[in-house]
Amino acid sequence: MSTENTFRNEPALEFRREPVRAQALRALAELRTKLPLRIGAANGAAAGGELLSYNPANPAELIAVAPAGTAADARAALVRADSAFESWSALDAGTRAATLQRAAGLLRERRLELTALEVLEAGKPWPEADADVCEAIDFLEYYALGALALDRGRLLPQLPGERNTLRYYPRGPHAVIAPWNFPMAIPAGMVSAALVTGNTVVFKPAEQTPACGHALVQALHSAGVPEDALVLLTGADEPARELVAHPLVHGIAFTGSCAAGQHIIHAAAQAQPGQRHVKRVIAEMGGKNCIIVDADADLDDAVPAIIKSAFGFAGQKCSAAARVLVCEQIADALNERLAGAIRALRVGPAEDFASDLATVIDAEALARINAFLDGAEHEPRVQADIPVGTGGHYVPPTLFVDLPPSSRIVREEVFGPVLSCERVASVEAAVRIVREGDFGLTGGLFSRSPQTIEYVSRLGIVGNLYVNREITGAMVGRHPFGGGRLSGTGPKAGGPDYLLTFVEARSVSENTVRHGLVI
Amino acid sequence: MDDAQLEDRVHECGQRLAAGLGSADASGLRHPLAIGERRMMRSLIADPRLRAALFRFVDVRPACQSRTELVRHLSEFLEEAGAGSENARRLARLTSRRGLTLPTAGAAGLGVASMAHRFIAGEDAQAAASELTSLWEQGRCVTLDLLGEATLTEPEGERYAQRCTQTLRALGQMSAGWAPNQLLEHDGLGPLPRANLSVKVSALTPHLRANAPERALSAARDRLLELLRLARDLGAHLHVDMESLDTRESITELFLELLALDEFADGPSAGIVLQAYLTDSEEQLELLLGWLEQHPRGAPFTIRLVKGAYWDHEVVLAAQHGWRAPVFTDRRSCDRHYEHLTRRLLDARAGGLALRPAIASHNLRSLAHAIAYSDALGLAPDALELQVLRGLGDDTAAAIAAYGRRVRVYCPVGDLVAGMAYLVRRLLENTSNDSFLAAQTTGADINLLLERP
Ligand SMILES: Cc1cc2nc3c(=O)[nH]c(=O)nc-3n(C[C@H](O)[C@H](O)[C@H](O)COP(=O)(O)OP(=O)(O)OC[C@H]3O[C@@H](n4cnc5c(N)ncnc54)[C@H](O)[C@@H]3O)c2cc1C
Repeated sequence: MSTENTFRNEPALEFRREPVRAQALRALAELRTKLPLRIGAANGAAAGGELLSYNPANPAELIAVAPAGTAADARAALVRADSAFESWSALDAGTRAATLQRAAGLLRERRLELTALEVLEAGKPWPEADADVCEAIDFLEYYALGALALDRGRLLPQLPGERNTLRYYPRGPHAVIAPWNFPMAIPAGMVSAALVTGNTVVFKPAEQTPACGHALVQALHSAGVPEDALVLLTGADEPARELVAHPLVHGIAFTGSCAAGQHIIHAAAQAQPGQRHVKRVIAEMGGKNCIIVDADADLDDAVPAIIKSAFGFAGQKCSAAARVLVCEQIADALNERLAGAIRALRVGPAEDFASDLATVIDAEALARINAFLDGAEHEPRVQADIPVGTGGHYVPPTLFVDLPPSSRIVREEVFGPVLSCERVASVEAAVRIVREGDFGLTGGLFSRSPQTIEYVSRLGIVGNLYVNREITGAMVGRHPFGGGRLSGTGPKAGGPDYLLTFVEARSVSENTVRHGLVI
Repeated sequence: MDDAQLEDRVHECGQRLAAGLGSADASGLRHPLAIGERRMMRSLIADPRLRAALFRFVDVRPACQSRTELVRHLSEFLEEAGAGSENARRLARLTSRRGLTLPTAGAAGLGVASMAHRFIAGEDAQAAASELTSLWEQGRCVTLDLLGEATLTEPEGERYAQRCTQTLRALGQMSAGWAPNQLLEHDGLGPLPRANLSVKVSALTPHLRANAPERALSAARDRLLELLRLARDLGAHLHVDMESLDTRESITELFLELLALDEFADGPSAGIVLQAYLTDSEEQLELLLGWLEQHPRGAPFTIRLVKGAYWDHEVVLAAQHGWRAPVFTDRRSCDRHYEHLTRRLLDARAGGLALRPAIASHNLRSLAHAIAYSDALGLAPDALELQVLRGLGDDTAAAIAAYGRRVRVYCPVGDLVAGMAYLVRRLLENTSNDSFLAAQTTGADINLLLERP
């Protein structure tokens, strides 16, 4: 695919300019006047009751009301998606690609409003909320170009008297099960990849962010995707389980926790009565990502990058840094500066531009992360202050130094603003530790030695290695994203191979010899 | 005076400055070491791969904790550069020969240290005292800049503030013994302090945030306030440097807000920096001039006009976010804008504003234009100050002093580790294709160099 040449990432909002900040705050105030948003019962009657989303910084503020979908709703949604498959898949690739591009345009028109919505519904700080909306636009544009390239098929060897072709075909209805941490971008990627290759989709956004999911669906529908080719199914676990198990589903694109991902892989593998295909699963799961700091690293660069990687969006990214593996020669210096930098972090509501990090997503996440912190037997720990008495779901950004390797904080994915820093004897020793981990998503290396950089790069120990920079913030097209081991099934989102998972290749070989002549 | 006449005058001034650069050769580098260095600079300008390799070495040098580490890095950089550079291959062979490694490391280490010494006057003000005094004796005044690691924590901000305090005191003490010098100490607006410190607000606080300038306002406020009080009490000048665009709003707002306080109505002497490479720098100038008109203070205000030291950073940052670059991307437009702002500053001074324009550049054309325009306005020679960086502008400073104009030398002090980032930036600037000094080093014709941008 030659999308690399024409694709450009959507420019971020330039929040460093005061008028842009002022505009954003106006958009937020405007959105507030419309709350709570009511998301229609597009997926049928609301037999399951209501699903409510709240501002994590102020749980008294209701953001959206949506139907809480049931298993029956999931079945109904799939029937619709199945009925739409024939006509949607029959469209030519150019038409579908143009539809995605129109949807990208619609998101672009609503940039500020959507960013404000993420700030309120996901508690995502402005720059990161904006980056998420940009990434959603990027996915639509990138996969539109990718689908056009894919439609040209592949060249095969040709012999005299034989014409060989290879083309890609859509597979059927897909289930997209999305997380709340990139509430627009991740579903935009999964939904648009399935749609643009000619599949139909039932999309279940995370229960915490139905309004963000709805905004995406709205844009795609307005751009011309038929209502039944993309069905929004809001709800919690029940409808998701039904989608995964249902025989009409051909593929499942999931991003979320490792446990849920493994459950989906398992459930999807059981063929149901009447199911005449094998379900494919794309699962993007967790990470326990390490940043290796070589003895020759520049701490002026490493410290801010580690802080950003570990505490950006309160560590609620699968790409976030959880462990620092620092060569012992500079461990003390690094620990001291990291500690000081953490104390200087400001925790506050996402809507305040001055907040370095904000809340975690909900009360459940708060309790889970606090259990990690309470259970950590080992001190010292370094923390920043958090706002008190607001009711917001705040966890103090926390650093642990030299925890024993058996500690839960070292071993398990916390998915919160918690970082552990361990000493290693060498970069080689750090690499061994990374390899022993369950996950292989992102990783970082700070080094000024070309040979060390080359050595670690070649090993391919993680899906996305970032050298001398922060390890989050993958850009569509530039940093195809996804990992190995228990981090996911691949392929790389926002990369040249992603669409292949949503299609089936068919080849035709035609004999062109008639009466002994090649015609 | 019309345009053509002004151009003639610019050329005259430029020729005169060029003549003052030195006698031994046209670019004014006299002693043998300087000639060797010039040869090195020339080969670096011509060989970008070798240049990258050596700069990466300079960059990592202070982090190498043993000679073995030093050699390892040097040979790795050279090896990588060797793919496209014969010079680098030759050097790589040299450093990889076993018996040679230790002496090579020593030489490489020393080389960096001596290069650093050219740009960095000493560990601190005390260590630089004799250097500063001798500059004064040669008819050049100074401003001190404290190099340091990035401030990422409160204790680091506090340490920097303490260093500023100590430096102001040390400067006050040492400069008390300097011989009087009318040109360096007075202009039509009154006396000019001998003690002069340039401060980086980003070093005072870890709370500078591009998206929330108000955060630094409260975080750096107390420290800057104390420095202003001390400068006032000591009769010293306090200048705030300008850094990347991300910090401009914080720095400007904070500094102007403090200066407007009643307690600073009569002092200290203070100033700020205007970066001409920013495409919106004229609006920034309007903002500063407007503020000056509304806040008449007893002490005149200095505006140091520079092109800007973060050009690559601004361009890269903008490209990565998909923003229009905030800087001019064409050298000549940048230089033209610099001259435009020079004229605006001098006009404002001629119009009676208590403003001291300081033209900071090593570009003879930029300097000559400022002198010629100032003269054309009928301003007294002491109304204009010219500024250069130590190490880069030593010959230029001599030429300006010989011309009879006030020149201030910006002298960084600090240790080698802290100074590396500064050193690398200066070396890159000095050998970049877009640099006036590089053109001068490679022997470009002075008439071409003085051409109107
Ligand atoms: C006393 C003193 C104090 C200083 N203080 C500061 C300060 O506080 N903040 C700060 O930012 N800088 C400061 N500087 C640094 C100054 O910005 C650089 O030294 C200066 O950019 C070099 O300019 P020049 O006029 O000497 O050289 P020239 O060779 O004439 O100009 C080089 C400059 O042109 C600009 N440039 C390079 N390439 C391009 C291009 N392709 N398109 C457009 N423009 C380009 C860049 O700014 C580059 O540095 C100071 C300099 C001096 C002498």
